[in-house]
Amino acid sequence: MSLQDQLEAYLTRTGGKPAKVHGLSRIPGGASRETYRFDLEVDGGTRGMILRRDPTGSLIDTDRRVEFLAFRSFFDKGLPVPEALALEEEGAELERPFFIMGRIDGGKAQSPFTMPPYGEHAAEIGRQFFTHLGTIAAADPATLPISEAAVTPALDGCWSKELDYWEGVVNEDEEHPQMIIRAAIRRLRRNPPPPAQKLSVVHGDYRTGNFLHDGAGKIVALLDWEMAHIGDPLEDLGWAIEPLWSYKETHRVSGMVPREEAIALWEAASGLKVDPAAFAWWELFASVKGAAIWVSSAKEYRAGGFKDPVLGLSGWYTARRQDEILANVLAKLEGLA
Amino acid sequence: MTPTASELLLGNFLSMMEPPPPEALGDFMQGKVAVTGMISLLCAQEAERGAEARLWENGAIRDLLSQGGAAIPAEADVDRDFSIAGLDRTNATLRRALIDLHIAVENAGDTALDHAILRFYVKSADMRRLDLPPLPAN
Repeated sequence: MSLQDQLEAYLTRTGGKPAKVHGLSRIPGGASRETYRFDLEVDGGTRGMILRRDPTGSLIDTDRRVEFLAFRSFFDKGLPVPEALALEEEGAELERPFFIMGRIDGGKAQSPFTMPPYGEHAAEIGRQFFTHLGTIAAADPATLPISEAAVTPALDGCWSKELDYWEGVVNEDEEHPQMIIRAAIRRLRRNPPPPAQKLSVVHGDYRTGNFLHDGAGKIVALLDWEMAHIGDPLEDLGWAIEPLWSYKETHRVSGMVPREEAIALWEAASGLKVDPAAFAWWELFASVKGAAIWVSSAKEYRAGGFKDPVLGLSGWYTARRQDEILANVLAKLEGLA
Repeated sequence: MTPTASELLLGNFLSMMEPPPPEALGDFMQGKVAVTGMISLLCAQEAERGAEARLWENGAIRDLLSQGGAAIPAEADVDRDFSIAGLDRTNATLRRALIDLHIAVENAGDTALDHAILRFYVKSADMRRLDLPPLPAN
């Protein structure tokens, strides 16, 4: 049975009416899950949909229920977030866990390795990008659907929960001794940050490449919430301005706006302040988290028989680039740069 | 260990050989072809510079171990196998010894050697650097 047949069978059973699937097509990106677009026809009406299905091997292991509830937490809340419609944790007719959401058309994603990624619209995209992130940080997670599934850490436990997790990933997946990552982890443990000023929903992968823009300066969809969790709001900001996402530009972050402007936009939208010492910790952490993901990618690439080139590139080129970034940050923190 | 150039080129072949299901044609296949192309491009750099980077790194780690009074593991005292895989095996042994040394240096508060190791990390990452040309925005 083809995926299209499986999807039609599922939608017909759950909707109670004959459902037809048109234009089913896998789309690049969303590397932790297989992502497909399709049009659903029911009763003569058609709606654009997205299917996110668990892969057999993945860049990162994530909780699909948390991702689903993260979409639900911010849909219709003034942010461009698609509507999450159905979650099947046992896989049903599609055999592997999946969820379905409404599709936002008219947008395109940009690879972090393009130059310049947003052309003349960089500043306008940047203003929305960091303002949206501040809006996410301002929300109270306890009032949102994500709190049904995500662990709520203590304010002073946000950093250790994340660092423990990602160090665990390195411990589990490292296939060659990672001297630079290990040095960075030790530094993070020796110099813990202050407690979070509040708990927030952390998108977990908020960066260039994980949103759609219309090519005319407007962000139309915030996507890829698969690493969403509850934690310190500075975590997302550190990840968003991680140098990896700026290709090799140093005068602005994520190919959008200067660093100071990004922070000011985030502060204005979130109502929070960025403590430089705390933020330095979260910036270094962002590089460690990235490095852990690439270590994992390399292992998964081998385990999957070398068939997913995205895993191969991530576990190799991106890992090397992340090493460069980490080594330079470590040196800079000691005044050596 | 990050994937080797041989594994990546094998992977490129395998990922292109497998017939895709109909729903994975179009944009997805276009993206896949682009990534395999990038990998091939970068593999050329690795073929040019990979052995040199590993030989340099192995020698630099031995120097740091000597500087810190740490023993150089007998099985890694010299590079004998100059294939990438052979150099990587020696490198893994040396890196483990360097990680132990760095922990000891940090605990002892030996700033001079700590900084020497941090400078080595910067140089090592640069030696292994892969240069991806910027892609045109779509």
